[in-house]
Amino acid sequence: MSVRRALAGGLVLACLMLVQGAVAAPNEDRLLPIDQHTSDKARTLATTHAGALRELNAGLYHCMPWVEVQKHSIGFFRPKSIDRDDRYLSLRIYIEQDPSPAFARLRVEDRASAMFSRYVGPLLRRMTKDPAVAADPDLDGFTLVLEWMKQAPRTGDRPVHETIAIFIEKATARDYLAGAVPITEMAAKTRVLGFDGETALGAIRLAVWDDNFVKTFKVANYVLDPGVSC
Amino acid sequence: MRSDRLRILLAGGVLLAVAGCATSEEWSTWKAHPAHFASGDHMSFSLRNSEGSTARVTRQDVAMARDESWWGKPITVSQDQILER
Repeated sequence: MSVRRALAGGLVLACLMLVQGAVAAPNEDRLLPIDQHTSDKARTLATTHAGALRELNAGLYHCMPWVEVQKHSIGFFRPKSIDRDDRYLSLRIYIEQDPSPAFARLRVEDRASAMFSRYVGPLLRRMTKDPAVAADPDLDGFTLVLEWMKQAPRTGDRPVHETIAIFIEKATARDYLAGAVPITEMAAKTRVLGFDGETALGAIRLAVWDDNFVKTFKVANYVLDPGVSC
Repeated sequence: MRSDRLRILLAGGVLLAVAGCATSEEWSTWKAHPAHFASGDHMSFSLRNSEGSTARVTRQDVAMARDESWWGKPITVSQDQILER
């Protein structure tokens, strides 16, 4: 066989292997671009911790494939309710789950409590995986925006999402992450706003618990891409 | 001679591509997760999974299934009701 033919054959095989072994990559547009942060403080934070934010995005993409990080939702945002330029490391996720009539029948506070219990601890740990983030004196806290479908929409209807926005001051988060306070105490010191679709429900009180769902839940038959560990 | 070799090469490629069509059991697994894996496009799944092997779901499969199980534009709060950039 000539060198040319051997090369052609190799090319075909390489293409087939590429199709079969393609590695998915997280979309970088989940991060708010540095220049779209509106203060010097926020842009400095975003520049300093760009690597940590990319790692956060990649970790969520590979290790929690049932959640979808919203576009431009990872960044150093200012909570609307705060007038001064306090900057919170923020993240917004949509939690995909099978529609459940039992879950839909719960009170909104109970659904919110379940989501807080499942996700806030593990997400805070991911957000502070790089210790330099929480140690940065310019960082004032953390915002987690959790969103899920309220119930399966009827044919022709648009789905309605429920959302909770959780604002955690840095000192409270650090105490919780250090094991100094339980999740119940952290939740009690945390401001949580609820939304039913586009309608603000105001501040809601939650009854939370330690939940190991994120640690134990596995998407059936899910295999990590080569070179990825969780 | 040259066209014979080309035919053999093409046949080999096709065989490689179809070698792993999913079993009915694998498809049951796939379809048992309607919210996560509602995809009707089984191209990459078929390529990867062979007879007798356990079904494998990659991150690419999840993303593809999610796109195809899209429920429509949701009614939800906008980011700027909560946060300032």
